[in-house]
Amino acid sequence: MIMSMAIKSKPILVKQAVCRYLSTSPVQRLYIQNNLHNDQTHTSQPAMDPNAKLYDFRSDTVTAPTDEMFEVMKKATRNDSVFEEDDSVHELERHVADLTGHEAGLFCASGTMTNQLGLRVHLTQPPHSVVCDARSHVHLWEAGGIAFHSRASVSPVIPRNGVHVTATEIEGNLIEPDLHTAPTRVVSLENTLSGMVMPLQDMQEIAALARDRGLAMHLDGARLWNAHVASGVPLHEYGKCFDSMSLCLSKGVGAPIGSMLVGNRKFIDRARHFRKLFGGGWRQAGSIAAAAKYCIDTVVPTMDATHALTRYLADQLVSLDIDLQNPVHTNMVLIDTARVGLNIQKDVAPALLRKNIKIGGMGSKSRIVLHHQIDKEGVDLLLSVFREVLAQHNTRKFQQEQELASAEA
Amino acid sequence: MFATTLKHTCRLQRSSFVSLATPSFKRYFTYDITSDTTTQPTDVMFDRMKTASKEDDVFGMDASTNQLENRVAQLLGHEAGLFCASGGMTNQLGIRVSLHQPPHSVLVDARSHVHLYECGGIAYHAQASVTAVTPKGQHLSVEDIKQHAIRDELCGAMTRVVSVENTLNGTIMPLPQLEAIREYSLNQRYKLHMDGARLWEASVATGIPLADYSRLCDTVSVCLSKGVGAPIGSVLVSDKETIRRARHLRKLMGGGWRQSGGLAAAAEYCLDHVLPSRMKDTQARTLRLWQGLQRLGMQSALPVETNMIFIDTCGRVSLRAWAQQLLDQAHVRIDASDPDDRIARLVLHYQIPDHVVDNILDVTTTFVRDHGKEPSTFSPSNLQNAYPSANNNKS
Repeated sequence: MIMSMAIKSKPILVKQAVCRYLSTSPVQRLYIQNNLHNDQTHTSQPAMDPNAKLYDFRSDTVTAPTDEMFEVMKKATRNDSVFEEDDSVHELERHVADLTGHEAGLFCASGTMTNQLGLRVHLTQPPHSVVCDARSHVHLWEAGGIAFHSRASVSPVIPRNGVHVTATEIEGNLIEPDLHTAPTRVVSLENTLSGMVMPLQDMQEIAALARDRGLAMHLDGARLWNAHVASGVPLHEYGKCFDSMSLCLSKGVGAPIGSMLVGNRKFIDRARHFRKLFGGGWRQAGSIAAAAKYCIDTVVPTMDATHALTRYLADQLVSLDIDLQNPVHTNMVLIDTARVGLNIQKDVAPALLRKNIKIGGMGSKSRIVLHHQIDKEGVDLLLSVFREVLAQHNTRKFQQEQELASAEA
Repeated sequence: MFATTLKHTCRLQRSSFVSLATPSFKRYFTYDITSDTTTQPTDVMFDRMKTASKEDDVFGMDASTNQLENRVAQLLGHEAGLFCASGGMTNQLGIRVSLHQPPHSVLVDARSHVHLYECGGIAYHAQASVTAVTPKGQHLSVEDIKQHAIRDELCGAMTRVVSVENTLNGTIMPLPQLEAIREYSLNQRYKLHMDGARLWEASVATGIPLADYSRLCDTVSVCLSKGVGAPIGSVLVSDKETIRRARHLRKLMGGGWRQSGGLAAAAEYCLDHVLPSRMKDTQARTLRLWQGLQRLGMQSALPVETNMIFIDTCGRVSLRAWAQQLLDQAHVRIDASDPDDRIARLVLHYQIPDHVVDNILDVTTTFVRDHGKEPSTFSPSNLQNAYPSANNNKS
């Protein structure tokens, strides 16, 4: 599957030996199955070897702060950022705003907060609605935030190509003003989504459509950094397409906490007020902001290597006859083990835990996420466990078949 | 090098590079006594952060965060806790989690933070009306609640939650009064929430254990980033099931943060080192400041019971002129935005040392001697004007 790219971006889909995209389940359920983490409602088995290094492949949110980061945090300013008095926070906000070509930024505790704030400011008065990809984080994973915070409906779009929504699909799902309707007010896109990059050209087409119809454009760019590194598109080129963007700092970028909302000055002022309403008015946030800026400077350049490692992992898994649900563009591999007959929770996860490796997923589906704190050793360890489990499974299967055969005879 | 740059900044901010204790840099600092939220993290806290756990708190997996939550819950006589980014968040969560379906309302003291300074959160988060009561006495009482609670099931939004604040404007709600409110709430089946952002101050001042106050309430919010001194954070405590639901609501509010272990470690450090003795010292210092100002003919709009003084210049001097003098001579910043030019809220914390109080008194003595007039006879203005953000006091 080759996608057409704008001239500026380089091809991002690497040729893979064998790639099967199985997507017979409804898209939504797919995502939910992948993301059944060991959250607090799950009983998690204790890791077996306390001395071995822990590898957590469930999400890039697990990136941990380093000693170096705490030194950087110590040097940050320590003023009250509720009263906008902290220089380190200003520096970070200015930096990300500049990178994305926007006027101002707002540093918040989470991506959910920056997404919901962004949407909330655009959504001034009901009836109104948001159109987005059916698998969007803002729609599925923010505790019903759009309805709660903005009293808006959502028009979820299932993209036909399985990778990203197109301008045609967005247009076809817009709700016109009418006596009965909640007219579309915001188009909310996500890049990357399930690790997949949305091409700049499609974003530009959708932006043109939105501007034509007087709709606001918001981007959930939690992992926009990955898209930028993988595609070569500068952040400010993405920035041109959107009225507001949310960029996460605590995922692949590696900061302990935080996310940025960018937009024009008036927008950010309004968002700041809403942030206080949401309970996001934090005091001496300078140190966290300094850690985040440090990470942008030092970690984002390493994403290329993480992506390469991810492609290596994907290739190896595919060579074991494990299928991929989606093309691998950045730091995620979404696998389907149905064809090889493995159950993630029953067969794979326990074996991995014994080697101090954590993985998410359920049924035959799992999402494996890499980040800069995972080395090749960890990936090879993961692969070796997969091989082991497969071998045992095949042996069992063979023995069962033998028994059946002799029983019939 | 830093001395010259700092000297020229007019609205000085405290540099983190230099420890407060270094005498040579003292005169280049401005001591901000408009709020105890200005307590700054210290170098030791950052070292402590390094030793914290680094797991993802969205999944409730971070040991340092869980440890802080359990410790605070235990201190307050409750089962479980939730560490959040701000007191606004823990208050709104505490109230929200007890409200199930409109029509419903929350009864509060008219001066409450949850009503005045949380951006209309009660209406927004829970679709609840607010019954704001001006108490007959110093604090909300059972009589006030009886008189103003809404019971009309046809046209009214029934009272479901009573929210008390302790300390409120630095004053302490007496324990017997809180006990009476508790009993009445149980009778009427109201949930009782306490905004205990500065509950620590109340406990330190009276000697009454925190739990004696807090176990009387269904949900309690206590702040760590004010007098306790942590850079960020507040904890909501209640029973396990309520906290589980509050955690879910916290995600909805965008409060699901990841590696919060470091922040939790800083907070624990503060509970170990600031709370035990520094808070009591601060309260003694506040009393000393108040008594000094009183001798100069000033009054206080409210009793001085913990770390706050609502100083009323009574027209003896112009508040604005006094504030300018304090800034120039003593490098102390107070909020002089009261339109009546009389009342300011002074808040001390453990990072305001003794010599600052001495300086304030010295400067004020001279100022009153040189510019003092006869005290004015009309009564003071609305205390709300003394709150830092009331007049959008941004330079």
